[in-house]
Order: sequence, then C-alpha cells, then structure tokens
Amino acid sequence: MWPGTQRQLLDLILDELIPPGSDGRVPGAGAAGVADFFPSAARYAPDPVGAITTVLAAVAANSPDFASLDRAGRVAVLKEAESEEPDSFATLVRLTYMGYYSRPDIRPLFGVGAHAVHPEGYPVDNGEAERLAELTEPVLARGAIHRD
Amino acid sequence: MATGAGETGKDPVDVLIVGAGASGAAIAWSLLETRMRILCLEQGKHISDREFPSRREDYELARYGDFSCDPNVRMLKQDYPINSTESCITPVNWNGVGGSTINFLAHWPRMRPSDFRTRTLDGVAEDWPVDYAALEPFYEMNDRNVGVSGLGGNPAYPPYRPELPPIPIGRLGWKLAQGFNRLGWHWWPSDVAILSRDHEGRQKCVNAGTCDLGCAAGAKGGANFTYWAVLERARMELRTECRVREVLIDPNTGFATGVLYHGPDGQLQEQRAEIVILACNGVGTPRLLLNSKSKQFPDGLANRSGMVGRNLMFHPLTGVSGVFDEPMKGHEGPMACSILSQEFYETDTNRDFVRGYGLHAGRSTTPMTYALGGYGIDRPIPWGEDHREIMDNVYPFVAGLTVVTEDLPEEHNCVSLDPNLTDGDGIPAPKITYRLGENTRRMLRHGEERAKEVLLAAGAKKVLCSDDGNVWWRAGWHQMGTCRMGNDPRASVVNGWGRCHDVKNLFIVDGSIFVTAGAVNPTSTIQALALHIGDNIKNNIANLFD
Repeated sequence: MWPGTQRQLLDLILDELIPPGSDGRVPGAGAAGVADFFPSAARYAPDPVGAITTVLAAVAANSPDFASLDRAGRVAVLKEAESEEPDSFATLVRLTYMGYYSRPDIRPLFGVGAHAVHPEGYPVDNGEAERLAELTEPVLARGAIHRD
Repeated sequence: MATGAGETGKDPVDVLIVGAGASGAAIAWSLLETRMRILCLEQGKHISDREFPSRREDYELARYGDFSCDPNVRMLKQDYPINSTESCITPVNWNGVGGSTINFLAHWPRMRPSDFRTRTLDGVAEDWPVDYAALEPFYEMNDRNVGVSGLGGNPAYPPYRPELPPIPIGRLGWKLAQGFNRLGWHWWPSDVAILSRDHEGRQKCVNAGTCDLGCAAGAKGGANFTYWAVLERARMELRTECRVREVLIDPNTGFATGVLYHGPDGQLQEQRAEIVILACNGVGTPRLLLNSKSKQFPDGLANRSGMVGRNLMFHPLTGVSGVFDEPMKGHEGPMACSILSQEFYETDTNRDFVRGYGLHAGRSTTPMTYALGGYGIDRPIPWGEDHREIMDNVYPFVAGLTVVTEDLPEEHNCVSLDPNLTDGDGIPAPKITYRLGENTRRMLRHGEERAKEVLLAAGAKKVLCSDDGNVWWRAGWHQMGTCRMGNDPRASVVNGWGRCHDVKNLFIVDGSIFVTAGAVNPTSTIQALALHIGDNIKNNIANLFD
C-alpha cells in the first residue's frame, strides 16, 4: 500500500502512538504490524488510506528525517501534524487503536483472552450464594425503601 | 414461519403486528391462543446465532461496523437513518427479528410502584392509567417466558423472586458492594434476562462479556431466543425485510384497514387487517404515525391530541470509574449487569431535584473499546506514553458506576419527520429534537458525586470522572413517551390498554406508550405492558372496538 520508506515512516509513527512497553513484553503498534490493518479499514472510516497518507505527508514535511529524531523529537513532530491535520490524525489514532487491539495476540497482554469469546467465554466463580447472603445482610436490615 | 413478502398473498389477517422486537413478539405470544390469524411484518431479517460476531477473533471491530448499536454507523439495508443533530443523545437499536433485544444488555429491573404515580406522589409528569399492582402478574408471566436470574428479597421492590439464581456479580461487584455497605446505602445483585444455569433447553451464560454483539450462547433472553422460538413452532406468520410505510384508514369508519409496506424488492404492497398493532419502538412508531397522514388525520394518524412524537424520554447517563489495586477482570461476565443501587431512586425534598436515579455497576469492557473511550462514547484515550500508562496501569484495574437518571417528559423533546432525509425506501427519516432538562442535570451532578463516594469507600485509589457536563452520546437505548398512555384523549395517544383514542382498532405496545421513564432499563416493563394489552384485547374481544 505504501512504498518502503513510507511504510517505515508509518511504523515509526505507530510506535509513537502506541509505544512498546518498557520491559519489551508489549510491542508498539508499528512492530505489531498494525499498518497492515489500514487498507481493509474502510468500514470504520470513510477514507483510511487517504487520511493516513495525509498524516504521512504532514510528518515528512515537518521533519524530513523523522527516523533520526529521539522520542521527544518524534512526539513534537506528531503533535505538530496533529494540529495541522486534526481530522486525518484523529482517524489515524482511532484506526491504530482498532487495528492493534483487535489482534488476538495483543489482547492477552491486557488480561483478555485471545479467543473469540463464543462459545468458550470465561470461567467465573459462581459459588456466591452463601457469601451473597452475608454481603446483602446489611441491605436487608434497613428494610423496604420503596414508596407504594 | 418466516416468509418473503408476496409468498402468502394479500388476504386480510385478523391481527397485523408491525415490528418483531420485544413488544411485538410478546403480544403475538399473548394473542396466539385466540387462534386469530396473526401476521408480523419486520423490516429486518433473522440473524442466526452463528452470525454473531462474538464467534470471530476480531469480534471487537464489529462494535464499530456491522454490529454497531448505532444505525447511523451500521447503515445496513434494514436500518433507517436518524437525524440526531439537534440532540445530545442519539437513539440506538437493532432492526431485525428480536429487535433491539439482539444487542441489548439484558439488564432487567422492573419499574417501581412510585414510577406509575409521579403526579400524585411528587407533583411532576402524569400518573399512568395502570399501576405496579396491575402489571405485577404480567411481569411474572414475562419473567417466566424470558428466563430471569436474580436474588429475591430486594428491599427496593414489593416482594418477588426471580426464577433462577443471580449471575456472578464478579470481582468488581464484590468490591463495589462493600463500598455501598460501608456507606449504608442500598445495592442489590442485578436482575437480568440472562440464564445463570441451563434452563428449558437454553444454555447458561458463558460470561463472554459481549452481550451487545449478540449472544451466541442463547443465554440472553432476547425475543429471538424466547418468544420467537415459540411463535415459530406455532407457525405464526412472519414476513421479514418488509418495511411499513403507512397505516391505512377507512375514510368512512375511521378504522385502520391495514398497511402499505415495501417488500424485500422495494415494491409497495398492501396488507389488510382487522386489528393493527404497532411495535416499532419509541422512535419508529411515532415516525410511522406521523407519516400516515390523511384527510381525517392531517397531522398524522391517531394524533388529534398532538402528542404523537412528543415527550420523548431517554435515560441520560454518565459514568464514574475507580482505579483499584488489583485487576477487576471487568470483561468477564454479562456486560452491563453486576449490581444496582437504588439508594437515590425516590424523591427526597432535601435534594435540588425531584425523582431520582440508579447507580449501575456494569462490567468494564474489552481493550479496544476502552481505548476508544468506552461503550457508547467516541472519545479515544490519549496516544503516546499516556496511552501506555492508561492501558497498563488503569484499564485492568477499573471498576465503574453508571448514573442512570429518570428523564421527565417535556413536550419539546420529540420525534418528528425529517424534511430531507429518507431511508432506502424513500420514507422520511425521524428527526430527534432533545435537550437535557435542568432536573436531569442536577441529578447527574448529584449522582456523579455519590458514585465517587462509593468508589472511594470501596477502596479505589483514584477516581476518574469527566466532569464536563456531557452525557453519553450513544445512550439512546431507551426510547419512551412519544405516544403516551392516558385516560384523557386530549393529552395522550392511547388508553390504559394501548388502544389509540382516535382509532379503535389500532394499538401500540412499545416503549412509546410509557407515561414516565423511571430510572431503570425498560424492556421488562415494555414486555409486561404488551402482555397486559394482549390480555385486555382477549378479555374485551367481543366489544373491542366500542
């Protein structure tokens, strides 16, 4: 979709939007391959490729050598692009979150199952009856609270 | 027995029901025993549980596409657009067999006795022509049909006992319940139309946490799994992909004679009927009536009172979250239902508002939805290092409370016909004009402060609240009041059993007939009312049109 240098720039941008965890356990959005999601994201934004191309152009115009900047420098350039192209940038952010968190390999890093939630679901302790009786006792002790 | 239009001809039917959602299905079930010929027209389709997106690995994406709760996002063939540019809340729904119970969250509280008597008790709005005692047997009947889980003995209600034990309230429910107890405030495990154990051939909930994406387990008591299963076994006639354009009237008798509808091919057809029942929800029903103009009813059918479309009520919502020191696992378990506090439900003259609100402890949600701002909210969290911090150190530890307020009826809040926007069949789209009342704003502020107190009492180390005065945009699940019941034909559209004052063989059974909104999810009451109306039709069948 994007030629090599643009794709490299896009991955760097994505790694700033969702940066990797400091312990290396959680990848950034660029390393996770979120860019591959964008061409198929037309259901979620009117012109995803157009919006992202606009942001790429804004970043390249403001910083011809984005890759050589340190993290703070990259963030400053991105904030500038965000102020210049707010709609396109918002689309990029939104689609980045969608592309990143829809990945089954990413969800477990946040405590959520990789699996489709049906039919398996999640095991949840259902042995609550006795403990519920204890927990609701003070509520019952106050008596009825409705007006008839 | 689902068929396409035209397959069964245009023979008159005894009863024509428009809409196959919660109320249409319930009244069809009620009337089944009469052996009248009943036909239901539904603009959407059947959706099989195999098609629900919760079976896909990228299931969260569906929330922002084909399975969005917002028809303006989904834009499927069966959806009609809704102009909400003059509203702070946009209606959400599902169009198809089962209606919005396909993607509802199945929270199942009943309205309380005082909800039916707000004029008498609190001097606001109007009393209903029915009361809790009259509806109580129909709540019971409906609960049996749907399969309801909960804990009996809730002191916020007259005595009743759900058939099935409560669903797990989850780690966050336990935490918050302890907070309520420390403050001495009411709370109770939520009543839910979700099976806590296998029941009558249906599977219990698997705690998938994606009730809004359709329940592929069949544990959620959507009308698709409950009433429609019975109706289809009885071979009641259902025509899908049939969108009703207009209710027809005999100019001599003033009675409804049937409807004009667009079939799956878009062609306009006529269906005649002895009785017409509208079950299209609080937006769709006034839209249809307002589009059914004639010499007798130049301002819309059954609208001599001028009340069709007026008094639109939602349940305005806001949320407050607490960050705890252990993971809350909020994505596990039924999405909206853990515990409910009704401590602030009734009027207290020491407060600066009348009536009240509930504090609902739902679950939290999946990572994508959280990152995009939460369910029903389009406000993505920040990007960059703040994003990392929030998703690593806030999201897993969050438990929230939603403030769900009673919305008082105000005539200027309304559904009208948009002069320009139309659906795929060229029928004028509804336009929503709605603003928050001052009473509601005060309630929301009060509720936010009380929610913060509960979260802190429960041990939250930090409380998150927007404090911007906004309500959730996609909070228009509950659409009520736009064809309200009443004894006075000058001030209401239908009588105490859903019959239009102006057209005696035309009935309305959906949430549009609510007189007040209460501060609880309405589907339990909508279906109880539909059964109540069905019972009255059966009891008055000999003199139905007198």
